[in-house]
Amino acid sequence: MNLKRNPEIVWRIEKRREADVLAAMERGEDVSEHGTVILIASGMMHQLNFVGGRIWALCDGTRSDEELFALLAGEFEVDAAELSADLTEFINDLTQREWLRRG
Amino acid sequence: MADAITEQFSAPLTFNWTLSYRCNFSCSHCYSRDEVGEELPTADIKRIIDILAEKQVPFINFGGGEPLIRPDLFEIAAYATEKGLNVSMNSNGWLLDLEAAQQLKASGFKSVGVSIDSAEAELHDDFRCMPGSFVKAVAALDALRAVGLRSTMSSVISRINYHSFRELLQLAREHGVHQVYLHNFKCSGRGFKNREELDLSPQEWKAFYVEALAVKAATSDLSISFDDPVISSLPGYEANPLVKGSSCGKLSLHLRPDGDITPCGFIPLVVGNILREDFDKMWYDSPILNAMRSKEAKGKCSGCGAFADCLGGCTARAFATTGDFCEPDPHCWK
Repeated sequence: MNLKRNPEIVWRIEKRREADVLAAMERGEDVSEHGTVILIASGMMHQLNFVGGRIWALCDGTRSDEELFALLAGEFEVDAAELSADLTEFINDLTQREWLRRG
Repeated sequence: MADAITEQFSAPLTFNWTLSYRCNFSCSHCYSRDEVGEELPTADIKRIIDILAEKQVPFINFGGGEPLIRPDLFEIAAYATEKGLNVSMNSNGWLLDLEAAQQLKASGFKSVGVSIDSAEAELHDDFRCMPGSFVKAVAALDALRAVGLRSTMSSVISRINYHSFRELLQLAREHGVHQVYLHNFKCSGRGFKNREELDLSPQEWKAFYVEALAVKAATSDLSISFDDPVISSLPGYEANPLVKGSSCGKLSLHLRPDGDITPCGFIPLVVGNILREDFDKMWYDSPILNAMRSKEAKGKCSGCGAFADCLGGCTARAFATTGDFCEPDPHCWK
C-alpha cells in the first residue's frame, strides 16, 4: 500500500526558505534543523526539514516505499543503509501521528 | 529586511478578511461597527483570491461586518475553495438559516463560527443590542450541524461572561460545536469606547485564564482555544514553537473591504493595498510589520522573565492604549 498524506493536513513548501537551505547545503553546512515545509495538523503548526519535506511532498499515493527510496537515493548523496533507516523512522513517526496513511 | 519570521514564512498562514463593514447588529464591543469604507466588486475580490492562492496562503476567514450581508459570499467562497484555499467565516447567526447553511456547505466552507457571548439569552441579546439574537444564533449552530458543516463558537470574554464561561462551553456541547474560541477583549472601535464598562482588570484576566486553562486541560470532548499571548507565562499554556507573542503580522494579516492590508483587524495602520502594491514587498519590507516583529521590551516588560515568550502580550492592545507597539499589554498582571 502506497503512502499518502492525510488530506486534513494543510501544508506548504516555503520556497524562499528552501532556496536558502539548498544554497547552504551547497556550501556543506548542516541544514538538518532548518524547516522548509510548514504543516498545520489539528490546529498546531509544525515544520519539516528539507529531507523530511521532500519525502512528505513525494507521498502522494502514487509511489511504493521502494520507489520512494529509489527517488531519494538519486537525489541525496547518502549511504543506502543510512537512508533506508532514516526513511523507515520518518515514515513510522508520521504514520503513528496519522499524518501519513497507507492506501 | 530579513527577520526570523520572514526567514521562515514567505506569506502569512491566514488572512482575516473583512468583506464588508455592514452589519445587521450593533454590538457593544465591535471593533468595526463605526467604520465605513468602499467595498470591492466580486471581480476584484476574485483577483485578491488569485494573489492569495499564488502566495500559498492556506486559510482565509471572513469576518466583518456580517459576511452573509454580501450576496456574493457563496460565489466568493466557492472560487476560493476551487483555488485551494481553506475558507471559514464568523457570523452573528441572524441570517444563517438552514438554506444558508446548505449554501455555505455547497460553496466549500470548512467551518463556520457563530458569535455567542452568553448562555443567557437576555444577556446575549442585550450585549448584541438585538432582541432575539440568541435564539437565532443557537438555531444557526443547529442548522450547521444539520447540514454537516463544522461549527465553531466565538465568545468575546468581558465583564458579562468571565464568570460564566463554563455555561458557554456547555451550550456549545449541546449544539454540536467542535471548537470554542474564548477571545480576549480588544480595546478597538466600540471596544475602546466601552472598555471601562466591559474590560476586566489585569488581575481579573489572570484569574480568568488560570481557571480557563485548567478547564481546557480537563476537557476532552470540546476544543477550547485562546489567542492571547499575555497568558504565555501561565501553567497549561501550549506555546507555539515557531512564533512567540502576537501572531498578527507574523502568521496572520487582515484585509479591509477595499483591499487595504492591516496587521490585524484591531490595528488601524495600513501596510498597503493588495490590489495596487506588490505583496512580497509589503510582507518583507513593511516598516509597520517589521516593527511588530521586532518588539523591544519597554516599561515593566524590561527585565521581565516572561517577555521572551509573550513579547509584551497583545500588540493591538498596547498600540490602542499607548500608540506604541512596544509598551506593555494593558491586560498584563505582572
